[in-house]
Amino acid sequence: MKEFALMMIGAALVNNVILARFLGLCSFMGVTTRVDTAAGMGLATTFVITVSSMADWAVQTYLLDAYGLGFLRTVTFILVIASAVQFTEMTIKKVSPSLFQMLGIYLPLITTNCAVLGVALLLVEGKMGFLSSTMFAFASSVGYSLVMIIFAGLRERLVLAHVPRLFAGPPIAFIVAGMLAMAFMGFSGIATS
Amino acid sequence: MSHDALNPSPASLSFSTQSVEGIARVVRVTGDQVWLEPEQTTSCGHCASSASCGASAREAAGIGTVTSRLQARRFMLDNPEGSSGFHEGERVVVGVSERALLSASLTAYGVPLVFALTAGSVTQAVYGEDLTTMLGMAGGLFLGLLVARLNARRLAARGDLAPRFLRRARPDETCGTD
Repeated sequence: MKEFALMMIGAALVNNVILARFLGLCSFMGVTTRVDTAAGMGLATTFVITVSSMADWAVQTYLLDAYGLGFLRTVTFILVIASAVQFTEMTIKKVSPSLFQMLGIYLPLITTNCAVLGVALLLVEGKMGFLSSTMFAFASSVGYSLVMIIFAGLRERLVLAHVPRLFAGPPIAFIVAGMLAMAFMGFSGIATS
Repeated sequence: MSHDALNPSPASLSFSTQSVEGIARVVRVTGDQVWLEPEQTTSCGHCASSASCGASAREAAGIGTVTSRLQARRFMLDNPEGSSGFHEGERVVVGVSERALLSASLTAYGVPLVFALTAGSVTQAVYGEDLTTMLGMAGGLFLGLLVARLNARRLAARGDLAPRFLRRARPDETCGTD
């Protein structure tokens, strides 16, 4: 149980998808202008990463490993992720058209989010069991969402601040992102996985 | 840094922190009902190949194209406040509350995930097999989606998920501009 908790803390905070592995930077800069949209995107990405990691584990174990098709891993995972996003979109539409109207805009963006593929490939390297693999993916995506929301909050404050013209816009956002990454390095003393 | 910048007046913040805005185009007006289509921009900025990759908004409504996606996301406002004199093609600003967006996200994504992970953990603890855990997690996900459906109906019945008409958009107004 302790190892499980350490693995999840390590995935979410120490080896954060955005700040330590530099994955998902496109959405990190593009969808973090407001906290609410960042939270919506973060939750949607969390769902897709977790669901696609479940499917990826099954495909890796019962298809790619079983038939020696490891060289097709990246292509297959991209297909699985696109299918997971499509499944999510169809399910949300079926479960509640109102929710689909409100949240459907985020889903196509997730298909091209490299964090989803990155986490799936990390899981293969880890050679974990199904539950550990899914929990690792969930923790990684929670870390992604956490950073998105924190950064969106910082950017909302930045809008109200007087930033020198030379640094206004993306430059100051990158500087703040760097400071946030340094702050997250403080977590490296908690877990080493 | 000025005092005003650090302490903005509540009036200047109240609107932006309470609603998420978007621009929609009126596509049909029938009596008191106004049908709207969300205006969507692509993140790629369009290139010469946009007609074939599906990024162009002016193409035919084929499967998976932006046009077909926008048509699928059409919605209706019933007798919106101050809606008199709407005409087709007009651009308006609609919005939903921040709380509604968060509730919707938690309902759609959070609830199924919690059910799936709980079911998977319980199955793993009882059986200790990967295949059984996978089936248990899939069952939990299905159950979570059913619960999400019930919760979404409750939110929709309260009117929390419905976008509201805020104002007419300025000619130069786009998403992200004030």
